[in-house]
Amino acid sequence: MNAIEIRGLTKNFGNKQALKGLEMTVPMGAIYGFIGENGSGKSTTEKLICGLLVPDGGSIKLFGRDYTDADVRAKVGVLIEAPGCFPNCSVWNNMMLQAANLSLSNAKEEVKKALQMVRMEGAASNKYKNCSLGMKQRIGIAMALLGHPALLVLDEPINGLDADGMRIMREVLVDITQNYQCTVLISSHILGELEKIATHYGIVRGGKMITEMTAEEMNTGCRTYVALQTKDIGRTKALLACRYSRVEEDESGYIRVYDAKQPEEIVTYLYEGEILVTEMKTAKIGLEEYYTDLMSEKGAR
Amino acid sequence: MEKTGEIRFARNSFSKRLKSMLSVDFRRMFTTPLFYIMVGIAVVIPILVLVMTTTVGSSTSVDPVTGVETTVEMEPITNTWQVVESISGESSGMSADIMSMCNINLLFFMAAVFVCIFIADDFRSGYAKNLFTVRSPKADYVISKSLAGFTGGVFMILAYFIGALLGGAIAGLSFDVGAAGSGGIVMCLLSKMCLMGVFVPIYVLMSVLGKQKLWLSMICSLGVGMLFFMMVPALTPLNSTMINVIMCLAGGAGFSIGLGAISNAVLKKTNLV
Repeated sequence: MNAIEIRGLTKNFGNKQALKGLEMTVPMGAIYGFIGENGSGKSTTEKLICGLLVPDGGSIKLFGRDYTDADVRAKVGVLIEAPGCFPNCSVWNNMMLQAANLSLSNAKEEVKKALQMVRMEGAASNKYKNCSLGMKQRIGIAMALLGHPALLVLDEPINGLDADGMRIMREVLVDITQNYQCTVLISSHILGELEKIATHYGIVRGGKMITEMTAEEMNTGCRTYVALQTKDIGRTKALLACRYSRVEEDESGYIRVYDAKQPEEIVTYLYEGEILVTEMKTAKIGLEEYYTDLMSEKGAR
Repeated sequence: MEKTGEIRFARNSFSKRLKSMLSVDFRRMFTTPLFYIMVGIAVVIPILVLVMTTTVGSSTSVDPVTGVETTVEMEPITNTWQVVESISGESSGMSADIMSMCNINLLFFMAAVFVCIFIADDFRSGYAKNLFTVRSPKADYVISKSLAGFTGGVFMILAYFIGALLGGAIAGLSFDVGAAGSGGIVMCLLSKMCLMGVFVPIYVLMSVLGKQKLWLSMICSLGVGMLFFMMVPALTPLNSTMINVIMCLAGGAGFSIGLGAISNAVLKKTNLV
């Protein structure tokens, strides 16, 4: 059973088609990094999953049930854009209001635990409006954690967090997925940070899912390359291009070969072509670079 | 959070959900300054009306072009209960000027302001976003808001009544119940309270249509409320009887159920953010 299953989801805002038949599968227990440019449909998808928008077409299933099912909804924790809090109320009171919304019987205990998880227990008596942006994000996470959610939907949760805040967020998310059977759908533009925790990725563009993959698939299949240097870069590139589909020269003068199975085969191949490799290394591109590459590829098509 | 091997979906009963929803709304209502401001205004209005109409008997204006003096005689209030309502078939005793708008029926408009601000605040603060994410039955929200708005309206009526007593005492007006009888006044107030059940669902509907657009929900609420406003004096005269109360109660129940269902459908079928 998947935590989220979306099929053919469409959503229009007036004449603008925000989602064009989006497909998405988030396995149980995954930390699903949801990536896309601004206006690609990430937030719209998340709002639809949370029942804040009404879809025009398609289906959304959470844990195999319809997403509007009251039992399922009670198991969804959300932080979309900013936490919904009353500015003049204390952090504690805002949390207690959400605990009441969830009809939690042991509300005080739950609120205390959630605040402890995000290291915010000391700020419980602060007025919400006096909290910093980072603190507000952490309060939003604490609020989302109330009621033992089985699914957390987080829209840009690490925006505005300092290094310590990001580390805490990372630890909390890994902890709840590993120990509490929680699935996390997280969208972020800070791809370097997402890369440290995500187990699955979904890349969306123009209201459609371009690709979905596991972190392993991304690591093994798409992201290793061989970087080499020779004395005759032009001829090397031409020769390699005859055998490999993706050969590029990077800004530091290395030639990158993306689809070589073994680095040694390149050396042998170039040696046969009377080109001597002076330097060679294997490397991995980061999520950010991979994403940029993918976007430019798809854009070119 | 508890460690668990499988996801457990626990169903909350309607009564448990409504109880928690009401506790949130009532806690919010009784801790927000808005409620006390509204109740305060409801106390002050009758005091001002009663004191002013006994101290100012007439007003004179001079036409700046012709220099002609015009004196408007204000029919003075002689009895405290005139500020609450008139006996059916009789005029309130106040002339048809701004004062005639300042009797207890003004509270039906103040209730609109209260309900619209209360609900728009939910959508503007993001509280509605938190709520509807974890709670799919929208009926809980509509029922709870209607009950909170109704209670707010009832408190305003009681506050106005207290204000009328204070104003009457300050102005030294008669408290003679006359033909209405004290029972009639009680029934009149009860009828007005029940009639809040007609107006509040209208305001709730307009507010869920307007969502965070407070200006829109306020204009629509006052506009639609105005259509029903004329029936208030006819349905709740000072000499009301149990029949009036029952009629208002039936109207309130009918409007609450009917408009509540429409509000519920609006929340289900429209985007919430």
